[in-house]
Amino acid sequence: MREASLDRLKAFLTLLPSIVLVGVFVYGFIGNTVWISLTDWGGSGSLAVDPQKNYVGLANYAELFTGFLAGGFRQDLVNAVFYSVMLLAGAIGLGMFIAILLDRKPKGEDVLRTIFLYPMSLSFIVSGTIWRWLLAPQGGVNILPTYVGLDPLTFEWTSSTKAVLEFNWQNLFQIMLYVAAFILILVGLWAFRNDPRKALKRWLGPGIVIGAFAWLGGSILPQALFMEETHGFNLATLGIIMATVWQYAGYTMALYLAGFNGISQDLRDAAMLDGASEVAYYRHVAIPMLKPITISAVIILSHISLKMFDIIFAMTGPDNAQTGHPALNMYLTTFRANDFARGAAIAIVLFLVAAMFIVPYLVSQYRQRKRG
Amino acid sequence: MANVDLKGVVKRYGNVEVIHGIDLSVRENEFIVLVGPSGCGKSTVLRMVAGLEAISGGEISIGDRVVNQVSPKDRNVAMVFQNYALYPHMTVRENMGFSLKMRRKSREEMDSRVQEAARVLELEPYLERKPSELSGGQRQRVAMGRAMVRKPDVFLFDEPLSNLDAQLRTQMRMELRKMHMRLKTTTIYVTHDQIEAMTLADRIVILKDGHIQQVGSPIEVFEKPNNVFVARFIGNPPMNILEGVFGVEDGKRFVTVGPSRFPVPDGKGDSLVDGAPMLVGLRPDAIKMGENIERLPKDWWCKGEVVVSEILGGHSLLEIVVDGQNELIAEVEGRVVAHPGEIVPIGFEFDRMVLFDPETTNALS
Ligand SMILES: Nc1ncnc2c1ncn2[C@@H]1O[C@H](COP(=O)(O)OP(=O)(O)O)[C@@H](O)[C@H]1O
Ligand SMILES: [Mg+2]
Repeated sequence: MREASLDRLKAFLTLLPSIVLVGVFVYGFIGNTVWISLTDWGGSGSLAVDPQKNYVGLANYAELFTGFLAGGFRQDLVNAVFYSVMLLAGAIGLGMFIAILLDRKPKGEDVLRTIFLYPMSLSFIVSGTIWRWLLAPQGGVNILPTYVGLDPLTFEWTSSTKAVLEFNWQNLFQIMLYVAAFILILVGLWAFRNDPRKALKRWLGPGIVIGAFAWLGGSILPQALFMEETHGFNLATLGIIMATVWQYAGYTMALYLAGFNGISQDLRDAAMLDGASEVAYYRHVAIPMLKPITISAVIILSHISLKMFDIIFAMTGPDNAQTGHPALNMYLTTFRANDFARGAAIAIVLFLVAAMFIVPYLVSQYRQRKRG
Repeated sequence: MANVDLKGVVKRYGNVEVIHGIDLSVRENEFIVLVGPSGCGKSTVLRMVAGLEAISGGEISIGDRVVNQVSPKDRNVAMVFQNYALYPHMTVRENMGFSLKMRRKSREEMDSRVQEAARVLELEPYLERKPSELSGGQRQRVAMGRAMVRKPDVFLFDEPLSNLDAQLRTQMRMELRKMHMRLKTTTIYVTHDQIEAMTLADRIVILKDGHIQQVGSPIEVFEKPNNVFVARFIGNPPMNILEGVFGVEDGKRFVTVGPSRFPVPDGKGDSLVDGAPMLVGLRPDAIKMGENIERLPKDWWCKGEVVVSEILGGHSLLEIVVDGQNELIAEVEGRVVAHPGEIVPIGFEFDRMVLFDPETTNALS
């Protein structure tokens, strides 16, 4: 008994320095940022030795989401959403695809694996610079067709001002409901073949109800903004998305390849004898078995995409409104405009969005460990 | 259901030949057991039949169709693996139904076939569980169920019971036998365990280093082994092999083992000439002790010194040294309590002896 408590004391003492450091420099500073975001620290005099900080409640947040001048931030948020979705789809899709090709053990598999993983070792500034050059309006990718005698492309990869999928920010709530309904119905249709009743009850039913509500009752939903404001998917972010996918596909490939290699040959043989084609093997056996890897990849990539800063900085600079990102906006607001409180509010918004992805993951991990 | 024919089947991995031209005909409805020590190529043969391993030479046909170029999924064979190879993310129901799903069978057919297999294998309560929530024996049943629902032409088993404990293994062995009696599906069963081979097989195929040593019914390979390898591999404890010299005196045929001389019954070693060296094989249960030796002719008796005795319940195992040099294992009825060092009379059933050529180790007719 005494020995046990001595052990505990030793363990505690060993952990104490890191507990203190993490407590101060992570949680303490998060708390401090939350506090600052609730003040009016900013503007002239904000760099004084003892600047004025008055508590203003959620005014900074209200301004960000409903303020007349914060349309740029809202576009940055929209950018971040598209950016995350496309990075996830691109990096996971491409990484998985390459992993499947390599899993079939082509000649030179190990060399190829290194080549595909290599972009990971570059810093974002380096790959951003490379891609800025590759995507220059009159160079790189755009002049590729001229090598086979075609006209050069004219697409402005990082400087286009066109946007697609435009919507009015006022209808934000309705659109979010539509998206939720769409996802539910999609999942429901996918699950329908396996278990129609469960699919109907869990996914399709709620999806249809939410969709119908958004369609019929859209007018009774509150408007998210007092004025019309269009946002959409800025085509200029395509170049940045491509560069990030290029950098991270190798990483997801490595994750999946390790997972595929861990599946026993017997299981593959069993699937073959059961009549599964190569495609069916990956679709029904290998990829579902690697669900934990997919979840990890989604978590890692989504929080990376939310913190994205340097590659955008390197490719288009911080001031390009078309390719803005909340993280860049935070930097500009805080350190260029010296609006520390607003910057802190942006930081906290990003923090909460990231937590939305990570907390459920951590909870499920914790539960699994408790069960296992 | 179909017969399976292997003609001169060869398997090479790179330059290394591991299967050296095997000929084997498995009849329709037959239960064939491929047995041999680890690494002799049993799995390789099975995997070639399944189509999981390319054939380097020769021809395999299932039914009347040469399948050398047919992909595994089109051979209509089902395989049960040693480690079960169940899909860990699927429930028992999904595991068993997977092959039907891949073959685009209707939902109703899938449900009824899975249900039927689950009923037979007593898996109904576990249909919605994942493999990780089952015991070893239950997983084994799921693996069998997965093979059964397909109604394949041929069942292939690769050491399906090796991961089970001894008791469960005996039980599953019985059930396998029953399953075969009911379904009558042609079966090729691989094991390194000669007891499994003896109890399950219609015919046993003994494999060593990629060569077939013998094909025959369990009794045939037990009583009439083709060579010393088969003699020692089949049967536990293994057959006793003694070195001897054949002799003829006054028209009587005998064998000299050490200082002792025993008669050779007619019909054994007819081709032998006086002075020929030979190996004498005697099953442990062909050695008698106590009152059981009374039934044997007197000149089949001798004396031996007990070294170790083990009582195994209904019968006992004794290690006996004859003439101070030849060690024998005897399996005798009853609980024979013999003390080490004791000299006891023993009798040999020489009509059951098997003679081998010491050069080739092949059996002498
Ligand atoms: N993929 C392979 N590459 C090279 N040699 C192999 C391979 N698979 C099996 N072998 C060799 O073939 C022989 C037979 O193997 P196997 O059929 O697995 O034996 P068993 O099932 O009888 O234990 C062994 O000597 C093994 O080393
Ligand atoms: Mg094997």
